[in-house]
Order: sequence, then C-alpha cells, then structure tokens
Amino acid sequence: MKLTLNPMFSSLLRVPPAYFVFAALFVTLWVTKPQLMNVNVMGVFVRQVAPLGILVLGQLLVMRVRSIDLSGAGVLLIVNYMMSSGIMGDIHVLFYIPLALLLGLIVGLVNGYLIGRRRVSAVIATLAVTTILAGIVQFFASGKPPGAMPDFYNDIYNTKIWIFPSPVAFWIVLTVLMSVFLSRFVFGRYVASIGENPTAAHFSGVPVERTVIIAHVMASVIASIAALVQSSSIAVGSIRVGLEMPIDAVAATILGGVVFGRGEGGVWGPFFGVLCFALLFVVMTSFGVPEPGKLIARGLIILLAAILYGMRAAKS
Amino acid sequence: MTATLKNILTGKNSRQGLWILPLIIVVIGFVSLSVSTEDFATSQNLSNLLKQAMPLIIVAIGQMIVILLGGMDLSVGSMISLTTALLAIDAPAVVTIPLVVVAAVMVGFINGFSVVRLNVHPIIATLSMQFIVLGVAKLIRPVAGGSVPEFLVQWVNGTIFGVSTVFLLTPIVILIGWKLIHGSRYGLHLFAIGGGAAEGQEDAAHNFGISDRRNIIVAYICSALFAALAGAFLAGRIASGDPNVGTIFALDSVTAVAIGGTQLSGGIGGLHGTLIGALLMALLSNGMNLANLSAFLQGSIKGGILLLVVALQSRKKMGL
Repeated sequence: MKLTLNPMFSSLLRVPPAYFVFAALFVTLWVTKPQLMNVNVMGVFVRQVAPLGILVLGQLLVMRVRSIDLSGAGVLLIVNYMMSSGIMGDIHVLFYIPLALLLGLIVGLVNGYLIGRRRVSAVIATLAVTTILAGIVQFFASGKPPGAMPDFYNDIYNTKIWIFPSPVAFWIVLTVLMSVFLSRFVFGRYVASIGENPTAAHFSGVPVERTVIIAHVMASVIASIAALVQSSSIAVGSIRVGLEMPIDAVAATILGGVVFGRGEGGVWGPFFGVLCFALLFVVMTSFGVPEPGKLIARGLIILLAAILYGMRAAKS
Repeated sequence: MTATLKNILTGKNSRQGLWILPLIIVVIGFVSLSVSTEDFATSQNLSNLLKQAMPLIIVAIGQMIVILLGGMDLSVGSMISLTTALLAIDAPAVVTIPLVVVAAVMVGFINGFSVVRLNVHPIIATLSMQFIVLGVAKLIRPVAGGSVPEFLVQWVNGTIFGVSTVFLLTPIVILIGWKLIHGSRYGLHLFAIGGGAAEGQEDAAHNFGISDRRNIIVAYICSALFAALAGAFLAGRIASGDPNVGTIFALDSVTAVAIGGTQLSGGIGGLHGTLIGALLMALLSNGMNLANLSAFLQGSIKGGILLLVVALQSRKKMGL
C-alpha cells in the first residue's frame, strides 16, 4: 500500500503520539470533570505512576539499542518480598536500598551476559529471568503473602516537595539525569548509533556488545529503584506475579516515540507516555469503564501509536 | 570428531536448530521417572500427560509458524480464552463454531496486516492484540462459567475402540502441522522468508519471487486458527468458558518452541523440535508433581532450562 501523506500530516507524525494523547485526555478531563483539575488530586494520580515512570527510564534505554527488558517484573517482586517479609533479619531500614540496588545489578549482569555475549533473544532471556525470580519468591513465601512494609519508606512516600509529591519529584529528577546522560555523554551517542544500525556502529568502532550489556545493567538497576518506590507505596507486601508493569513500560515508551532502535521521542516523550497512562486511568475510572473496556482501550492505544510510527517509517 | 559431536549437540549449521539436546533431556527424564516412580509409566498417567501436553502442542505448532518467519504471536493466549468464551455462549454449535473460526481469522489478519502493511513490530502488534482480544473475551464472559456443546466434551474426554481420543487426535494435528511446515511449498516459503529476516535481508525472499507479504499474513492467521483449535480442546476438557484459561499459553508456547531449537530470529527450526519442547514442558510439570517437588519451584526450573537451552544456541543477531 502506497501511503501518500500531505506534508502537514507527515510533519505531525514526527511528534511522539504521547503528546497528542496527553492533550486529548487532558482536555476531556478538563471539560467533563473540572473538579478533578486541582494540584492535590492530580498529584495523587500522578504519584501512582511514579514507579512506572522510573521503570520506563530503563526500558527506553534498552529499547534504543534494539533490545527489551521484561525482567522488571521479577526485580519488583523480589525487592518487594525482601522488604516486607523480614527475611533479612533485623537490619537497619536503610540497608534495603543497597541490597535492592545489588539485586538489580546482579539481574542486569545476567541479562547483559545472556543478551550481549550469548546473543540470547532478549524477550526470552528477560522473561525466563522473571519466571525464575518469581518461582524463588513464591517458594520462600510458600504462596502466602508476606508481612508489612517498613513504615520508614511509606512515610517518605507521603511527603511533598513544594507542590510535587516526593516520588513524583524523584521521578522528575531521575528523568532529567537520564536526559542529560543520553545527550551529553559519549554513551548516549553509542546508544543512538547502535539503534540506527548495529552493523554500521560496529564497523565505526562503537563497542556494541559492551554498550548493550551496560544498557541492560542500567535498566535493571533502574528497575530496582522503581521497585523501591513501588514497595514504599504499599503498606503490605504482595507476591502476586504480574507482567503488567514492564509491559506498560514498553507501551508508554512506544507511546512516547521510542521504538526498537529509533529514539525520536528522547526521554520526555516516554515521560508524557507515562502521564498518559495516569490520565487514562483517571478518565476511565471517572467514566466507570469496566475492566474489559480498560484492556481494550490499552491495547488500542498501543496499537494506534505503533501504527502511526510504522507509517512514518514506511515513508522514509 | 569432538568438533562434529559438538556441532551436532549445539545444533550449529543445522536448519532444524538445536533439538538433540532437548530430546536427550526428555529421554533421560522419561527413563528416570519410570524407574524412580511406579505411578509414572501407567497408561492412565501417560494419557493424562498427553492430555496436558495436547493444547500446548497445538498452540506451539501455530506459534512456530510465526516464529519461523522471525515474528512472534503473543495474542495466542487471549485467542484461546476468546474461543472458550465464544463456545460457551448460549447458542447451538452450528453458530458458535463458525463464529470461532471467523474470530480467529480476523485476529490473525489484523496481526498480519499491522505487521506487514502498517510496519508495526510483531511483538508490539500482537501484544496490543492480546489486550484487545482478552478484553473482548471478558466482555462476553466476565467470569468462568457457561456450558460448551456436548459433543465437544465427549470428543475430548471419550474413547474410541477403548483408546482415549487424545491418542488419535494428537497424530492428526501433528500431521496437519507437518504437512504445512515440512511438506508444502508454503513451508519452504516460510523458511525462505525467515532465513532472510534472520540475516537482516528482509527482502531476500521477496526478490526471489516469493509473495512474502501474503505468506506472512497467512502465517498469523494459521497461528490464530491453531490457537482456536487448542481453545476448543481446552473448552472440551473444562466443559465451560473461562476468560483466564489461556493466559499462560502466550509465553509457554514461545518457551516450548524455543526449547525445541527453533530460533526466534527466524528461518531455523523444525516441527519435531517443537513437539519435543512441548513434551518437555508437560513432562516437567508431570514429573515434578510426581516427585513431590514444590509447585512454586517448577516455574523457576522451567525458566532455568529455557535459559540453558537458549544460551547454548548459536545466533548472529543481538537484541530481540
């Protein structure tokens, strides 16, 4: 099918779909439910997606180098269990942070070794890592939900910095750091060149293997940070295995204009992609859409965003 | 000599991929289980084993067709759920069964069309389709219930001449899969398109005059139809509709195909490998149940075996 688009439309296609979806949802909400449009209410809604937003920062990094990371679900589960079960004994609450980061580092090194060195398909490798971690957690918990989270983290989670809830502020800071890291450091150039063409990057002297491994290690460490934030948002631990978080992260990243290999959306496109998910959640809840409707809407949004991008790629 | 042996064991230079190692694992598992536990080698347990493996075998054949092209179909799990939901609506079988076929063809076509014409990455296209189809299934049947046509239940659970029907149905499905993949021109085209995609030459098959776009769309339709068949089988086994019954199959089918030596970048694989992979998965859960191993660790062990087998394969492409 030959797509003939007029120049106006094709230049609009260059903008990540997240901005349009965000604007549409925002206007819908503004018109229909103006009472929800205040800083406090929106803060609560945006706070819920802060862990997802942090997870997306890692996801966009690996998707830029034509890989994918679904092991975030496993990291989330094991960090959650470690903090709520008391399995570590009587340690200081602050020790959970280095422990979680260490776990993320180990998972990332395993992912990186398998994907970068052994050339295992990233989907398979990271999914298998998730099933292994989930199995270990369920074995330790023998199917029973673990205990309560330490209050310390929950107290931090509920604080506010100016008008932003702390997790949201933390998320914004991390996004700024990632944006600077990708645009100002050599590593960012490596990532971009591998995304464009791995073979060309290899022959231009870019250390492809090392960059992919580092991207995966960073993604898993970021996932463990997301896990810390997510764990502090809940009062009681859970061992429910769900791939929703990493899959939503992939969806938000695509919505934000970062597709496997191509990164026009930068870091802020996916940021708005995550905000879209927050608003979508509010809109559908306030209109009383049942669960099947939410599933269909989520699928349609991902598909339409991907189609918009695919049409653009087909033209160029 | 050792180099040749190593090549055979790791499936290097083989068009069928690494299938000998999984086969050895299956044989070892089979022998050790029949020696160690006396409950294993009974005809009752073996028929159960096949009944457990049957839906996975069917879905995995469909999944393999897509994976051979270098694609992936994550919507098969939801398609299974949708099939059971459609079969359990309050209507006669002459209505529901054509409805299932139409739904499967539509889902497969949308998947294939998005991948081929709209240039969407297969994982993303089928992932979003997974949500949409699951949503539709939950609209039709929010919780498990209803009743499927009576003849389906009898077919799946009954016996013919004293032999469980599973023993007759399985070879038929395998024969269809074999004809499609290894016994037809279409199968050759699959390998050609996938082989090009794996080497980064997506238009290689197209340049040889193979209508790759049409073949890819047909492959996604086949995958959805095989999933619908597995769904019908499952519906017959549980005798009701359940919107959550298929969820695990999306990943289990990919796992079975990957364990069987089919490479996810496309072009390399074989039906026998996929059968071995599906059998290995069924054998694992059956054997671990008999060996009284914690049910929670089974997932970990499956994941570990998958990683081991996949890490041993040689692959050129990095990433997805």
